Amino acid sequence: MAAAARPALKRALPSLRSSTFLPRQQQPQCHHHVPTSRRSLSTTPSHRNDTQPTTPSDEETHFGFSTVTTSQKRALVASVFTSVADSYDKMNDLMSFGWHRIWKDHFVSTLNPGFSPLSSTSPTSPQHILDIAGGTGDIAFRLLHHAHTVNSNPNVKVTISDINRAMLSVGKSRSAALPASQQAALSFVEANAEDLRKTRPLTPILSQTEQTFFDPATATSGLEDDSVDLYTVAFGIRNFSDIPAALAEAYRVLKPGGVFACLEFSKADKHPLFNSVYKEWSFRAIPLIGQLVAGDRDSYQYLVESIERFPRQEEFRDLIKGAGFRVSGDGGWEDLTGGVAAIHRGMKPRE
Amino acid sequence: MASPAAVNCSGAARRILLLPTTTTQPATRSFPGRLSAVTSRPITTLPSTPRTKSKSTPKTQPPTTPPPQPLQTRRTYHSTTHPPPPSPFTQAETTLLTSALTSHIPTHGFTLPSLTLAARDLSLLDISPSFLGPSPVARLIHFHLYTTRTTLPSLASQHSDLLSGLSVSGKIELLTWLRLKQNEPIIQHWQQALAVMAQPSQVPVAVRELAMLADEIYYLAGDKSVDPSWYTKRAALSGIYAAAELFMTTDKSEGFQETRRFLRRRLQEAEELGGAVRSVGEWVGFTASAGVNVLRSKGVRI
Ligand SMILES: C[S@@+](CC[C@H](N)C(=O)[O-])C[C@H]1O[C@@H](n2cnc3c(N)ncnc32)[C@H](O)[C@@H]1O
Repeated sequence: MAAAARPALKRALPSLRSSTFLPRQQQPQCHHHVPTSRRSLSTTPSHRNDTQPTTPSDEETHFGFSTVTTSQKRALVASVFTSVADSYDKMNDLMSFGWHRIWKDHFVSTLNPGFSPLSSTSPTSPQHILDIAGGTGDIAFRLLHHAHTVNSNPNVKVTISDINRAMLSVGKSRSAALPASQQAALSFVEANAEDLRKTRPLTPILSQTEQTFFDPATATSGLEDDSVDLYTVAFGIRNFSDIPAALAEAYRVLKPGGVFACLEFSKADKHPLFNSVYKEWSFRAIPLIGQLVAGDRDSYQYLVESIERFPRQEEFRDLIKGAGFRVSGDGGWEDLTGGVAAIHRGMKPRE
Repeated sequence: MASPAAVNCSGAARRILLLPTTTTQPATRSFPGRLSAVTSRPITTLPSTPRTKSKSTPKTQPPTTPPPQPLQTRRTYHSTTHPPPPSPFTQAETTLLTSALTSHIPTHGFTLPSLTLAARDLSLLDISPSFLGPSPVARLIHFHLYTTRTTLPSLASQHSDLLSGLSVSGKIELLTWLRLKQNEPIIQHWQQALAVMAQPSQVPVAVRELAMLADEIYYLAGDKSVDPSWYTKRAALSGIYAAAELFMTTDKSEGFQETRRFLRRRLQEAEELGGAVRSVGEWVGFTASAGVNVLRSKGVRI
């Protein structure tokens, strides 16, 4: 079983070493730097020899030779990223004991997007949700379902944003399975969470050698101040190199009364026994599993270490407050599964 | 997190013991909080005169927040030496929750629409209440429990004429009744609220509030006894209050006189059956008296 799984995952999870000397923009951007550590990977069909490094250059962002049609290419690209997305899921499963889907459901249902009091006389204004580091759409699709179906409120639109077009492309192709009304309420935007003034709509990847990371120089628009009701970020913020900058941008784009909500791996050290078991699991077992199953210890090591480096609940809450958000006196966060993950929420006040 | 077993009365009493202590005596520092919490009361706290401070409470409140406004109220654990514990609600929460409580709960009850409408009143958004945490409605109910408890002292001083003529048990009965009457404006919604607070995730908050309420009532009644019955009396009052509160939600009598009769009966029974009640909490009492003896041996005057 391990042998069979190895080649696919090996492609999906290139060694961390290969990314060490890349510029920041090319550095791992998720808890496992999957499609980012090697630019070529993200556009490489599975049959291609992916050990051959390609140097990023401007020409390569142009559409190169194309012997297949655009839609064929897109499908090909999407299939590669789907396996990448699957490996994301596997890693999340390992780190969360399979609970990350439950956490995501809880995250979305407690935010209750699209809720509107029935008895209300004043009309509901449309709700704009921004899902940052939205990747393959896990959170955005849930938000949309909750608003449109659970709360029967079609007046809610969701923008999925990510720095990585490859991830967004997977999200886009997955969204084809959604009801048409929900698809119409979705938009895909390339942006770095640290500077939301520079964005562009998702541009299809047509070439194997294209840069998949958003280059701010190619921006065609930006997110306006006070334009968002709900800002969500799930398992993304840990990978940002400048978290305060991202929080400041969240504050800027939110309307007064708008809510910031973050789901992220956290510290489970309130329960010493559980914590020691969890630490043992994550620091010893997970890299070992990564080595056995994927033949790639480093990627899994990166995942574990990025979680370890992320600030503890109180510190992160204080960063959120420092950005100007108001939090609950109930701590300002909610531990999930003993603190293996946590949800932080804050509101932008009306001054 | 929540253990259903914690709902019972001794659970309530135990929770008090875990609360911050008011002790200033070094001798008590080395003891577990549960012991110092007991013994600290007579050392530092019991007023020899009726408290006169409660009336001044509103003056210390920020001018921007509307009444009835319990933020920044005084101590909870009856310390005259320590500052009052900070409110468990931030300013932003207090503003939103107060608006919901005063303008929308009488119509919409303890529900999300109440909170959403309050947010709109404040020019916030429909999504805003979600910053309150995983259960904004439970937070709203907790806020009602907190405000009613922390406004009890000023309510008591409004009735100081009545209270001063009463025995300790008479005072306890009247104070409990005053607290019950605070539920009057929201009584048709209270059963639903109690159901929310009975959910496992909310039980710790509910039990803690109940325990602090019983403690408050005993404090305001001027009960000075520091013996093993300290716990059982509070546990018993917690149980009686909870029962009377539930009774009141179905009471259709004029001025809730049936509830008041119910309350009197239960308090009287508890007094008559004091011995039996005590035996329920015997282990607590035993532990406590052991602690008191240890402290005495250390020179603490109890
Ligand atoms: C683990 S995935 C999370 C995907 C999704 N939110 C979920 O919960 O399944 C992390 C995502 O963060 C994105 N990301 C990393 N750094 C970013 C940045 N600076 N700005 C925007 N997105 C970023 C990555 O491209 C990746 O898609």
